[in-house]
Amino acid sequence: MDMPTQEEATPSDIDMTTSERVVDLLNQAALISADEKLTILKQVQELIINKDPSLLDNFLDEMIAFQTDKSIEIRKFVIGFIEEACKRDNELLLRLIANLNMLLKDEGVNVVKKAILTLTQLYKVTLQWLVRSKTVSERQEACWDLVTQMKGDVLALLDSENDGIRTHAIKFTESLIITLSARTSDSDIPKRQESDISLDKVPKDHSYIRYDVLSEEGKLALEKLLKFMIHPAISSINLTTVLGSLATVARQRPMFMSEVVQAYETLHANLPPTLAKSQVSSVRKNLKLHLVSVLKHPCSLEFQGQISTLLLDLGMPQSEITRSTPAPREPRKRTRQEQYTEGKKVKMEPALMEDDDDKEEPAPLAVPKPTTVPVAQSAIDLTAEFLHPLLNPENVANLVLISMVYLPDVMPASFQATYTPVESAGTDAQIKHLARLMATQITAAGMGPGLEQCKARENDAGKDDVDDESGSKDHLIKRKIPTVMMGQAISVVGGYTEKAEETAPAAVKRLPEPILPTTQTKLAGTSGRKKVFRLSDVIQPLSESQIEALTSKAIKRILHSEKAIAQSGMSHVRVKLLTRLVTQFDGMMKDDVLKFVLEDIRARSDLAFSLLYQEYNTYLSQLPSGLLDSYDHCLYTLLSGLQEKPEQKDGLFTKLVLEAPVITESALEVIRRYCEDESRVYLGMTTLKELIVKRPSRQFQYLHVLLDLSSHEKEKVRTTALAFLKRMYEKDHLRDYIEKFALNYMQLLVHPNPPSLLFGADKDTEVAAPWTEDTVRQCLFLYLSLLPLNHQLVHELASVYTEAIADIKRSVLRAIEQPIRGMGMNSPELLLLVENCPKGAETLVTRCLHILTDKVPPSPELVERVRDLYHKRVPDVRFLIPVINGLEKSEVIQALPKLIKLNPIVVKEVFNRLLGTQHSEGSSTVSPLTPGDLLIALHNIDSNKCDMKSIIKATNLCFGEKNVYTSEVLAVVMQQLMDQNPLPMLLMRTVIQSLTMYPRLGGFVMNILSRLIMKQVWKYPKVWEGFVKCCQRTKPQSYSVLLQLPSAQLTSMFERCPEMREPLLQHVHSLTPHQQAHIPTSIMTVLEGEKKPDEPVRENELEPLSAAVEEQVPDSPSQETSVQQVTDVKEDEEPMEQEESTPVIQEESDPVSQEAPKVDVAEESTMSPERESPEELMETSQPEASPPQEPEKDVEAASNEPEAESEKETVE
Amino acid sequence: MPSHPLRVAVVCSSNQNRSMEAHNILSKRGFDVRSFGTGSHVKLPGPTPDKPNVYDFKTTYVQMYNDLVRKDKELYTQNGILHMLDRNKRIKTKPERFQNCKDRFDLVITCEERVYDQVVEDLNSREQETLQPVHVINVDIQDNHEEATLGAFLICELCQCIQHTEDMENEIEELLQEFEEKSNRPFLHTVCFY
Repeated sequence: MDMPTQEEATPSDIDMTTSERVVDLLNQAALISADEKLTILKQVQELIINKDPSLLDNFLDEMIAFQTDKSIEIRKFVIGFIEEACKRDNELLLRLIANLNMLLKDEGVNVVKKAILTLTQLYKVTLQWLVRSKTVSERQEACWDLVTQMKGDVLALLDSENDGIRTHAIKFTESLIITLSARTSDSDIPKRQESDISLDKVPKDHSYIRYDVLSEEGKLALEKLLKFMIHPAISSINLTTVLGSLATVARQRPMFMSEVVQAYETLHANLPPTLAKSQVSSVRKNLKLHLVSVLKHPCSLEFQGQISTLLLDLGMPQSEITRSTPAPREPRKRTRQEQYTEGKKVKMEPALMEDDDDKEEPAPLAVPKPTTVPVAQSAIDLTAEFLHPLLNPENVANLVLISMVYLPDVMPASFQATYTPVESAGTDAQIKHLARLMATQITAAGMGPGLEQCKARENDAGKDDVDDESGSKDHLIKRKIPTVMMGQAISVVGGYTEKAEETAPAAVKRLPEPILPTTQTKLAGTSGRKKVFRLSDVIQPLSESQIEALTSKAIKRILHSEKAIAQSGMSHVRVKLLTRLVTQFDGMMKDDVLKFVLEDIRARSDLAFSLLYQEYNTYLSQLPSGLLDSYDHCLYTLLSGLQEKPEQKDGLFTKLVLEAPVITESALEVIRRYCEDESRVYLGMTTLKELIVKRPSRQFQYLHVLLDLSSHEKEKVRTTALAFLKRMYEKDHLRDYIEKFALNYMQLLVHPNPPSLLFGADKDTEVAAPWTEDTVRQCLFLYLSLLPLNHQLVHELASVYTEAIADIKRSVLRAIEQPIRGMGMNSPELLLLVENCPKGAETLVTRCLHILTDKVPPSPELVERVRDLYHKRVPDVRFLIPVINGLEKSEVIQALPKLIKLNPIVVKEVFNRLLGTQHSEGSSTVSPLTPGDLLIALHNIDSNKCDMKSIIKATNLCFGEKNVYTSEVLAVVMQQLMDQNPLPMLLMRTVIQSLTMYPRLGGFVMNILSRLIMKQVWKYPKVWEGFVKCCQRTKPQSYSVLLQLPSAQLTSMFERCPEMREPLLQHVHSLTPHQQAHIPTSIMTVLEGEKKPDEPVRENELEPLSAAVEEQVPDSPSQETSVQQVTDVKEDEEPMEQEESTPVIQEESDPVSQEAPKVDVAEESTMSPERESPEELMETSQPEASPPQEPEKDVEAASNEPEAESEKETVE
Repeated sequence: MPSHPLRVAVVCSSNQNRSMEAHNILSKRGFDVRSFGTGSHVKLPGPTPDKPNVYDFKTTYVQMYNDLVRKDKELYTQNGILHMLDRNKRIKTKPERFQNCKDRFDLVITCEERVYDQVVEDLNSREQETLQPVHVINVDIQDNHEEATLGAFLICELCQCIQHTEDMENEIEELLQEFEEKSNRPFLHTVCFY
């Protein structure tokens, strides 16, 4: 046993190397990419199939394992490998055919195609192998069964959805027809296929391969192919393929030639309407080509007439046709003709005999020829003959007229391509041709005398059982074109349904194998190909979820076919379809569709509207009980979708709102939200406005939304809403509603706390929150914007104002400026308000007056009302301030004491008004008082009516205005005051003040002093005091004035200020003797007077003085306090308002109101360190008075606020 | 047919101008392309229309080039023939006749109807073996340099579209319809089998 193995070592070495290589390659193949894998596997195939087939068996499993590879190319390769392997070793069919079957059902289209091609080959291989095989095994039989089943599957693929697969299935069918029919002597056999099996090589006594069954299957396949060709929706490529296949069949199996030629004829007259123009020309080219190839076949003789006619119709020149026509073989033709007529009788018999007796000799050539063809053939002939004499001009004209009715609107491409002008009209040849054309159609439609005669003949033959079969077959062909088509001059569409119904049972009957429903997994739908006759087999009740899934998928498909449908111009149908479907059925579809719409609302708005209307329509149709829910949902979703979309520039939102049949609550809510969006507020409110205007039935509801928005927290929203409302307020029918709303809202202000209404629904927890500026304003926005439009409303404000709490009052006063200004001082209503001034609304009225006169002088009417009010009803001087420039001079003077007693800031304002210093631009204001008048008036105020301090402060205010009170003005004032009798108390203070401000007035002052002496100034203690002081300050100049004093007064003078005596004496001494002579001795006596009593007095006075000076100098606050103490002691005679007394002002008042000893103190202090102490004091006082003046608005606010405050006190 | 690159044949009458122009462009775009003529001879314009230069398919482009240079260099430079031959010889050595080629293609594009007829006739006259389909499409192109260039681009675009289809055979019909509309010229289209 060892030896042989060793001996075999050499070959097995070679084997091993090949085998090793294969193993190596296979190992590699497992790991590498598809492309390389393919190369390697091809090498393996070469090695195990061609180089060393003995290895084939060993590695078969490894190779086949690749049929599950991911790569399509690898799977295709495996198919090729199966083919090669099976061809090499037929036995392998037993193992591999099942794998091929699997691959035939692969999901890859190209894999399936390859599998079909392989099956085309392997079917023949299998048949040949099994026919030759002597042994009978169950495996072989099973293998055959499977192959037969696969054959059925592929035939069924003629109905595949995929064009390419159908093409391959056609080629398979072609090959099948040829294999399953007998080769005859006149068959055209391609060299390559010479050894191929065909039916004539199949023994009739095979145990499981039945000759007759195969023969039937072959015929059936041909029928299927013929049927396939006349499918009205056949694709151009399929049609081309079938044409070629039929030509091949005709040439290789001439017994089928008549069917083929007839089919060509029928096709030529009935080109599918679905073909495009260029496709028609492609098909016609093909038809021509194949007709020629058939014509070239020697057996075409008897069909030459038909073929040439067709070729002529297809535009082929007669010469070329003749060239392609084979030389006639007379004897052959004759025999065929004879056979032909006999055939009808003969051919039935063998069929029967085959059924009964398998051992019968194979029939002669014509035996397997199906019965139908000659019948139809002759039927056409007969009908044509029948028609020929009938085609007289009259009948033809009638036919033409009748058929006019059935002409299609558009000329079909096929007709356009086929049409050639009839040249030989009316000739006998042409009439014959026409008769034949019509006969073809009529016979195809299953009518005509020819057909009837043929049937009768068949029945005469009396073969009942075959009759049944052939009858149904007959049926098949003759019903290709249903009767409906009869009237149509150019028949285009076959009644496929009708035919299908009839064929379905036939197909079931004929095929013993179960038909695997490979192509029936999908419902008929997307492709143009109909498979009606299969549908009934497949119909099963679907489960709920399946139905749902399918429905939603269907909807989705319609949804997403948007573009394709738009291109075909059928968008409106799609929209309608979707709308109807979606509204009829509940469920997710609605949301899906809405979502889809919202994805691109602009492009899909038509769908949106359609949906909305349909929903509404549904609601209407169920009206008494119907609910708007569904409609509401639809509208709401659409609107919210639009609202939430960031950029929505076009007015789609508006359009949707305005075109919606009904605006629901929730939709209104969305509109409101839209309006609250600052970037779209305008568009939103325009929409709302349109709604209000165009939907009067619910306009108040819409208006209410807009009104609500008028107090919105966002300013832009609010102002826009207000602007819209103002415009609407002008419309009479809306006016009341808006007004009522505004007033109601304002009425809220009378509540002690803001009602929850103001905080919106979501914030109403803090009911007890206090009023704030914002909440107050919220109540007023609308009202205040209406106010300028309707002045009457102002009275409502006044009445609310009187009831409101102080905080609110303050806020109101702040808020009204704009609208009041808008009303203007000529507004009769405003004047009426001033006139009536409700109790408690005084501050409001004052505020109004201020606002009105802020920039413009008051009108006489206004002044009149105010004056009236002041005099008759509320004698509050503050009313007068705003109109003060409109009053008479006397009135102003009369009011002056009261005015200056007011808050200093107010006083300042009054003065500003009077002096015209308030508004720079309002120079037109003419004050009733000149500045001089004012100052004089101040001096003349009765000190009983007003305290001196206020007067002093008021004069200080005047002096503060240096621009107004120039030296000239002051001189005039002094002059006038001088002339008064009695002298005003503050005269000297003013003189000193003026002198300090304008030192160059010194001379004028001296003159004054002199005149005062003449007016016996010493009789007025206060003035005298000032006189002395003035003399002191103007020392060298004043000596001559002093010398005019009578001696008693001079003495009193020196008593007041003894230090004056010595310099005056020296002055006198320095005078010329002549001058000295004029000095009375009494004066001189006083001048030289007793020195002794002077000394102690001086010392007494000096001591506390120096102490005081020491105290004052280092520390100014202490100085203030000490002075204040002094004044306090001194001034308690006049009660003064506490708030008005500020330290600075008191200090200021010192020099005037001081008493003798204090004057000394001050004088000492001014004398020693610096001379101009009063001036300094003035200066310090000035900044104190001016700050309120700097920011103008502050002045206003400040001047108003305290008023309100004080008002509050009075109110409560 | 996304799995492997399309095997394309471009066919005109003499395998000189239109097919070569397309060959040039398609190969630059990475197609597996070959070009052919279907005429019995290779014909190039001569000094007058009735005196063309006729060669057989065995003559190389270089030989034709040299021949024409010798005959009338100026004329053939001026009418662009020499330039064309120069281009051709860079692509392959000599013209090929479609009828003599037994290689298989997925797609055959012809440049005029007559050529299309010849190709289809030839393919149909061959004995069927594997039944593998080959699509034949005719794109009419006038035989001049400009039209050849434009046509080549159209062919290239068509091939690219076909190459990019998921399932060529299933989509090609629709694709061609679209192309017809777009380019506003009809395409003949048929399928033959090897």
